[in-house]
Amino acid sequence: MTQVALPRVFLVDDHALIRSGIKAELGNQVELVGEADEVEAAIEMISERLPDVVLLDVHMPDGGGRAVLEAVIAVQPGVKFLALSVSDAAEDVIAIIRAGARGYVTKNIEGPELVEAIYRIAAGDAVFSSRLAGFVLDAFASQHGEAEVSPPPFDPELDQLTVREREVLRLIARGYAYKEIATELNIAIKTVESHVSAVLRKLQLSNRHQLTKWATERRLL
Amino acid sequence: MPGRPERPLRRSADDCVLGGVCGGIARRLGVSTKKVRVVAVISALFFGVGLVAYMAYWVLVIRQGEEKSILSRTGSDKREKEILAVGAVAMFSLLVALEILGLDVFGFVTLFFTFSALGALVVWRGASVGERAQLHRTTDAVATIGSSSGEGWTGITLRTVISVVFILIGVINLSRVSRRPGAASGVVIGAITLVVGLIVLFAPWWIGTVRGLSKERHARVRAQERADMAAHVHDSVLQTLSLIQRAADNPVEVARLVRMQERDLRSWLVDPESFGVPSNQPTTLAESAFEIEHEVEDTYAVAVEVVIVGDCELSPPVLALLGAGREAAVNAAKWSEAPSVKIYIEVEPERISMFVRDLGKGFDLANVPEDRQGISGSIVERMARHGGRATITSSPGTGTEVELILPLTTHTP
Repeated sequence: MTQVALPRVFLVDDHALIRSGIKAELGNQVELVGEADEVEAAIEMISERLPDVVLLDVHMPDGGGRAVLEAVIAVQPGVKFLALSVSDAAEDVIAIIRAGARGYVTKNIEGPELVEAIYRIAAGDAVFSSRLAGFVLDAFASQHGEAEVSPPPFDPELDQLTVREREVLRLIARGYAYKEIATELNIAIKTVESHVSAVLRKLQLSNRHQLTKWATERRLL
Repeated sequence: MPGRPERPLRRSADDCVLGGVCGGIARRLGVSTKKVRVVAVISALFFGVGLVAYMAYWVLVIRQGEEKSILSRTGSDKREKEILAVGAVAMFSLLVALEILGLDVFGFVTLFFTFSALGALVVWRGASVGERAQLHRTTDAVATIGSSSGEGWTGITLRTVISVVFILIGVINLSRVSRRPGAASGVVIGAITLVVGLIVLFAPWWIGTVRGLSKERHARVRAQERADMAAHVHDSVLQTLSLIQRAADNPVEVARLVRMQERDLRSWLVDPESFGVPSNQPTTLAESAFEIEHEVEDTYAVAVEVVIVGDCELSPPVLALLGAGREAAVNAAKWSEAPSVKIYIEVEPERISMFVRDLGKGFDLANVPEDRQGISGSIVERMARHGGRATITSSPGTGTEVELILPLTTHTP
């Protein structure tokens, strides 16, 4: 990888300990352009410094990461967000992704994986943790058995996963890295990335109300 | 002491409700204070005669341990005399005003009440420091006028005056019931006025009581919650922290403790009600899978991440699948040296698949001795017995993945 310019990263988390931990893990592999510990400051500084990637804590006072995300994306749609959370609650995950985050990882992610995720987001791809992949499979699978639920305007383009996308998600859920997925399925890494991005788009745009309903019903992991 | 008359005549300083009048008389006569009080109350009911007598006694007789009576103390101060004069004029003007309004207030009752009020004014202005403190204690105990009511003294005085006027008018109206026709209207008006007066007097006390009750209830609930929270923090977090301190030089143990605590806190946050309630036997695939996660994490100090898509009831084949998966996870935790193990389970209509994966050191399948019960017996054969299959992929250096497939065709109802 030719690292001409490091991705410019902005860090939002209300816990100083977590921030310093993440900074230590990122080291000099990214260019940290700023950090904030509250929603309002974050919105202001991000709109000003226009980082490539914002590492965004989901749970914060005053509306949480979602408030930051929505406010920034409204004026600066080019800024990309990677959600960081301690919680794996489906509700939070689905909500933040649908609000516009390009990826979701839990805070216990290891340093190299986090760096890889940042590069991937900066390049315009999506990042799914294995748990998020599981959620998506579950959410999009439940439509089979729910025929009696009045279907919203059915858009096969957005409301269903292709066989390939399913395979990719399944491998992510099993803990495979993108490279391993590419090897396993005999496809290029780029193709894996484009599948994941397609799934992200469906996740964000599909108006299947089951998605939200599913997420709220599934309170516990 | 009852039974022996004592001298001189004083107001009692220790045996008193208001002015120590009854206590003083009882001492002087050598009877019990209670008897005197009963007589005083009864005599007060006769047009307020007892009340006037009480007030007179209060201002004229010296308090135990003091040198001057209240009246002589106020009488010797020019300013106080003026205040008293103004008060008296104000009271009589009020009466005259009410009389002009056609309420016909003049009479024994009113007169006695007015004199008593004047007496109260004298007491208010002239009481000694000691008596003042004692009176404060008494009024504090009465919620409606004491400082505990939260009102300023001005507010209390205003409210008391207004309500006394209302009560007075009501009593007068009621007392004038005669045989002439139309008298009932006076009774009704009197009764209403009386009630209004009573409400004005007691409303703050009543409201305060109600509010106090609900406030108290809220406080109790909050205190209860805080106690629960504190108990929980103590039981789990502090205990774990002390364990961590003790195991500070053992990173594996620390990691295990931390993970245990994390899981504990998380489940408490998600569902505080059912927390601490001994969990029942798992009834679904997902529940047992999380149980395996906890068990392996606790026993082998590795992180286990379980991702489940779909869920189903437990049945013998499903239990066999879980048993095989558990064995695979335990193997990974024990031998792979990887820091984490990933379990993925997907329930589809026609089958359940389970993957247990680690990125540890891996092994060469060909080199596993035939008698290794773990892989052959607990995983492969167990799956085969229930119509499923197990595939193990591993090579040194790349980690291990165990794939378990259980077809559901024969078991779907």
